[in-house]
Order: sequence, then C-alpha cells, then structure tokens
Amino acid sequence: MATLLQGLQFYPGDSFIHRLDPRAKLLISTTFLLITLIYVEVTVTTIIVAAEALLAAMGGVVRRWIKTVYGSIPFIAAVFLVNYLVRMLMPGQPPTQVILYESFAAAYRLVALLASFSIFFLTTTPEEIGMTLTKLRIPYTYVFAFISAIRFTPVLAEELQTIMDSQRSRGLELDKGNPLTRLKRYIPILVPLIVNVLRRSYELAEAMEVKCFGASKKRTYLKELKLRPKDLAVIFLTLASIAISIYFKFINPIKIP
Amino acid sequence: MIRFESVEYVYPNGVKALDGIDLEIGDGEVVAIMGENGAGKTTLIKHLNGLLKPVKGRVLIDGVDTRNATVASLSRKVGIVFQNPDDMFFSESVWEEVAFALRNFGYDEEIVRRRVENAINFMDLAGYADKSPFTLSGGEKKRLALAIVLAWSPDIIALDEPTIGQDMLQKEKLLQVIKLLNSQGKTVIISSHDVEFIADLEPRVILMKRGKVIADEDAEEIFLNEELLRSCNLLPPQLITLSKELDFIGVRPKLYSPRELAAEIVARLRR
Repeated sequence: MATLLQGLQFYPGDSFIHRLDPRAKLLISTTFLLITLIYVEVTVTTIIVAAEALLAAMGGVVRRWIKTVYGSIPFIAAVFLVNYLVRMLMPGQPPTQVILYESFAAAYRLVALLASFSIFFLTTTPEEIGMTLTKLRIPYTYVFAFISAIRFTPVLAEELQTIMDSQRSRGLELDKGNPLTRLKRYIPILVPLIVNVLRRSYELAEAMEVKCFGASKKRTYLKELKLRPKDLAVIFLTLASIAISIYFKFINPIKIP
Repeated sequence: MIRFESVEYVYPNGVKALDGIDLEIGDGEVVAIMGENGAGKTTLIKHLNGLLKPVKGRVLIDGVDTRNATVASLSRKVGIVFQNPDDMFFSESVWEEVAFALRNFGYDEEIVRRRVENAINFMDLAGYADKSPFTLSGGEKKRLALAIVLAWSPDIIALDEPTIGQDMLQKEKLLQVIKLLNSQGKTVIISSHDVEFIADLEPRVILMKRGKVIADEDAEEIFLNEELLRSCNLLPPQLITLSKELDFIGVRPKLYSPRELAAEIVARLRR
C-alpha cells in the first residue's frame, strides 16, 4: 500500500516529460485510459504499457513507475479473482482457458490504467495539477482540497509507519490470529492515525485562515500555464491516436489477434 | 548487554542511515546518543527491539540476534519510548493505555492491575487514571508514554528525544527518574541533542554523524571538545563555557555542577 502511495507522489526532475504542459500530460494519460477502455485485447494493452514504459523512461522515473505497478498487485490480483469467479458462476460458461484469458486481460488493463496515471503524478507538481484543475473551471476550494490530499499522502504514510512502530514496541502483533481478531488489532493503529489527521486538519484550517484563504473571489497566479509548440504537437498526436483507435474499433473494425 | 557488529542500515528510499556501527553497551549503563537531526539516532534506537533489522552486520541483545526474534519478544527486554506520544494513544483512559502492553505480553489480570497502578503512581499520574489520554497536557503525555513502558519493567529503556517541548520541571523529573532506574540496575539509552540535560546526567556519550559513531567517551571528555561538538551542530553546556572563560583566575575547565563551580570560583579568588 505504501509503495502504491509513493508511486503517486511527485519527485523533482527535469526531463522532456517534466517540462510538458500538465494539460498535455493529463490528456496523454486520459488517452491511454480511453484506449484501454475501448479495446479488451491483450495485444493492444501491451502496446499501451510499452508506450507508457517509453514515457516513463523519457521522464527518468522508470524505477518508481515499476514500484507503483508492484504496489498495486493486491488490487490487480483482486480484479483477476473477481473476474474469474464471476465468469465461472455465469451460466453457459466457456472453457476454463477462455475464462482465464479474459480475467487476465481485465487485470492487465488495470495495470495499464494505474501505470498511465502514475506517470502523470510522478512528473507533475501538485501546483501544476492545481493549475490544470483550475483551467478546467473547477472552483479553487475543491482544487485546494485535492492538492492538499495529494501533498499530505506521503506525510500520512510516514506517520502510519511511526504509529505501527510505537504499537509494535508495546507488544502488538499484527499478523497473529484469525482474520477477525486481526482486524481488531488494527484499532490501536487507526485511532491515533485518525486523531492525528483531525488535529492536523484543524491546524491547516487555522493556518489558511491566517493567510486569508478565500478572501478574494478571483485568484491570480504567479505562474500561468501556456501551451508551447511542443505541447500542441503532443496534444495533436494524442488526439490522432484516439481518432485512430475509434476508427478501427467502431467504424471499420479490424480483427486483432 | 547490547552489541552492534558493523551494522549498516539503508532506508527503502536509498538513504544510508547507519554506516558501520560497532557498539557495546553493558548492563546498567546510562548512555546518551547525541548528534544533529538525521545523524541516525532514531534509526539506531529502532534496531534495539528489531523494528528495523540491519542490512549488513548484526545486533545482539543479550546474545539474541534481532533478525531471529520478533519485535514483541524483544520489546519485553527493550522498552522504547518514542518522541511523539500522540502516535501511541488510542484507549479511553490512562489506566487502559498502560494496561495495553501488559495484556499483550500475557500477564495475569491481577498482575496487570498492580503494575498499572505502580507505573501510574511512579510517574505522578495517579489522579489521571480515569481520564482520556487525549485530554492530558504535553508534559503529562510524555510522562504517560514513559509510564506505559516502565509498567512492564524492561531491562533496557530507550528514550527517543525525551526533552523536546518539555519545561524545566518536567526535565528535572525525568532526570530523577533516569537516575532512579539506573540505581535499580536498568540500562538507559537516551537519544537527544539537549546538551544541558545530558550534562546534568553525566553519562557516557556516543556522538553520531551521518550514520557513523565519531566519538564515544565520558560526557565531560566530549563536552570539553568544542570543535567536535560544533562539527555536529551542538554547543558545549553553559557551565563548561563559563569554566573556560574563568581560565584567567585559574579555574580548570571541567564539567562542574553549578555548586561545584561556585565553590571553585570562591576558592580561586581567595587564593
């Protein structure tokens, strides 16, 4: 879980991907999302994952990107399992091989989805994400809440670790007993975590009030987002690939192995 | 007895927090681990009960390799009091909070009751037994955190930054508790950069910098070496600085108590 959170965290860097306009990057990720939603075929998903790997390499974040995928294994496994079970229970079931293939394809698509947004979050600062959302005409109060959530995730992950260390030092054994008693063992972890989160949110609220948050209706920004030629080129390429995908899926369907 | 044998520790993010630590801490010793933030003090303490296991080398607690023991079993021997008490409280009352660890360690309810009462009384929290831990003041929370650990009476007690945010009275009380525990034969390990507090305690001092032990001497020896302290972003205790300033009347620089220094000054002036 902690590794998955790490994969959504921004790390300073300077590469072609980092310097790209955040709106262009968001469009890239959304395009990957669309294509993976349109096509169920493993071949297409593989092409998407390969393209993502290329982008991750260009951004110099390959290792962190792989970590995200690694951290999401529990979710991926869950998707595979649920798919498998549901398909097994459906009437008139196809042969097991087909079920396995389809469940695998579903889990694999989730990998592609998570991995595409991981690249966006790994290479985009919370400020840039904020500016992107404001450009999409989302009220700043919500934007701020969203950025703070992203910004405080690593803090929270660290705090969770400290709390677990404290309670394990008091003889708490988390991986002992049956699932039900195990769940109960998480109370000493969750209570301090929630209390600390509440305390921190009050502190943040006070700090914001001191700085007159929301005093002026119209916000201005120090940095303005501006699309440069290379951003436009990237946007054109992504839109083109969406168009191509739609064409071959719906207008002139082709058979994909 | 605690032994660190060329211990190295690297955090998952690649930061090398311990870089070849060799240490031996005997039973009944009082040891202060000093150094600036990020020197590796807390990382070292987390190795004592196996919360962290060495990447290279090994840590032995009474001959037991921490890699072969659970945190729960090591914790019975090594009690760690962490820096921020808010990271541990979850119970409805102070009494329950202290009882939690004792129950985890499997003590009889009767012994739990006795030990909780002893620990609460010992740390001056008798009037708070039924109160919620969340309503306590900063100093009371720190005392409760210590009471929690003292309740199961571990042989080794490690305190991580115990004086941060504490007023003089709390520090005084803490000093007495540490001395008392030591007189009972407990090993006490304190991580701190509170030079004045450590000077009052006069323990063995282990000075750390960037994951390495750079000095391991008596408090006096270390505190007289201003250059060494400054290299770790520490300043000598005021009484040492004062005794150095009084060199011109013949006062020998030393880690005096206030009373000793006063007597020394008077003696020198009379001569």
